[in-house]
Amino acid sequence: MIPGRLLAAGCLAGLLLTAGMQNRYDATFDYFAERGTFVALPSGKALKVLSFGYSNLAADLLFIWSIQFYSTPYLTNRFDFLEKVYDTITDITPQYKEPYIIGSLIMVYEARDIPMALRLLDKGSRHNPDEWFFDHDAGYYCYKFLKDFTKAEFYYNRAAAKPDAPTFIKRLGAHMVYLHDDPKVAYQMWLDIYNHARDTLEKDAAFNHLYQIKAQNDLALLKERIGMFRNRFRRWPDHLSELLGAGLLPSLPSDFAGSDYLYDPEQGTVSAARVFRWKRH
Amino acid sequence: MKMKIKAIAVNTFKESARNKMFYLLVFFGILFALSSKLISFLTLGDAMKVLKDTGLAAINFFCILIAIFTGINLVYKEIEKKTVFNILSKPVSRDQFIIGKFLGLALTMLTALAAMAGIFFLFVLVNGGGFDLMILLYFFMLFLELLVIVALSLLFSSFTTPILSFIFTVSLYLIGHIMWTFNEFKMILRDPFWKYFTQVLYYLLPNLDKFNIKNEVVLNTPLSPWTILFSVLYALAYIPALLAVTILIFRKRDFQ
Repeated sequence: MIPGRLLAAGCLAGLLLTAGMQNRYDATFDYFAERGTFVALPSGKALKVLSFGYSNLAADLLFIWSIQFYSTPYLTNRFDFLEKVYDTITDITPQYKEPYIIGSLIMVYEARDIPMALRLLDKGSRHNPDEWFFDHDAGYYCYKFLKDFTKAEFYYNRAAAKPDAPTFIKRLGAHMVYLHDDPKVAYQMWLDIYNHARDTLEKDAAFNHLYQIKAQNDLALLKERIGMFRNRFRRWPDHLSELLGAGLLPSLPSDFAGSDYLYDPEQGTVSAARVFRWKRH
Repeated sequence: MKMKIKAIAVNTFKESARNKMFYLLVFFGILFALSSKLISFLTLGDAMKVLKDTGLAAINFFCILIAIFTGINLVYKEIEKKTVFNILSKPVSRDQFIIGKFLGLALTMLTALAAMAGIFFLFVLVNGGGFDLMILLYFFMLFLELLVIVALSLLFSSFTTPILSFIFTVSLYLIGHIMWTFNEFKMILRDPFWKYFTQVLYYLLPNLDKFNIKNEVVLNTPLSPWTILFSVLYALAYIPALLAVTILIFRKRDFQ
């Protein structure tokens, strides 16, 4: 009969030996590189059938796998099936919100495919019509990466119309209108935000934008009329009120805060009291 | 009559509770449910969702295994060990025997589920998930599903061997969760006979997906009270029907 101690020692030695062999075997190939290719992924519907009632778990596991897979930077072909993978996950459980958000992040920042991300976010918005963040993210990607302010405005406005949407989304929409050079409409949108602001922060933000848009329009008009004055009288006006006397302006505009614009009679330049460079392209 | 059924049920429960396999499966169910925490570390975003998903799936899976393994053996073992002669020689009818066995198994399942559910509730609470009434509803629906599985395994156990009972019950369990595909399959069939046949199968086979509310519970999507009521009524009608077939088969059996 084999003594117990000998059996325990044999068991321990066997375990150590297999662990060592496993370690050597793992070192012979690149596990992540091996994962670089996969032949085919069943469709969402097929996976739903194959998961036999555990569809949520199947979506979780595929999503977790995708996070690990797409965060392996040196796999060059890893984006080949990116849209298919996230379509499958979201087909299995269309109400699972994270895959839309994380998937679009991967599509934008890793795969650099904004239209693909927008398609995924559109799908998220379609299946979760009360959630605002899909449209918010889509709007941001259009603004930041595509510079398509009209499209961004569309997404922000759609997000702002959803229940529980934060107030800043409406402001983002108004800013997009301004960026695609429609200051009159942008001014009206900001005025609406200003008049219906629910807190000081929102009111102040709207004030700044209104101030800037009004100043931009007023200063352009004043510069034009000062130029006309100089052409007519061969000198700069001593005061802005001279423009009224010359019949070049019916009344002097003031900034959104109600103050006069600053005028330099030496240079003939006019400026607003507050100047922000907030129009960034 | 009630006392006889109760005696058989209690005895069945005690017999199941003595089975080491029962404890092993409960242990693994709890272990896997708790290991959902590890899986939740790997995800991005709502980790609680993944924790609940994997935990509930583990409990579901092991409860089904317990239901099948205990169900397929009970009646067969009584016949194999000839203890059924002993019972049926007393003033106990075959009907009472089957009903008692079913109730005993139901009690076994309730105990296993309560143990796993209790620990899982605590686990979710410890992980900051709070007390979710929807999970309680999920366990109730799972219990109904387990009763259907127990009734199915008891049915097969009454006329065939444990291996065949296992194959039949597992097959019906899997099919029961994809019954929704039958309706779609029917749409692509052209022959009226096969259409009708598929329709009959759809109504005849257990539609276990009716009890599956995992997605709604985990994703907090609205769940109609009618869905719950329909599922309860479905279980209340389907289980007696299965027991009636089991009793009919068991009445006809000739024990040598």
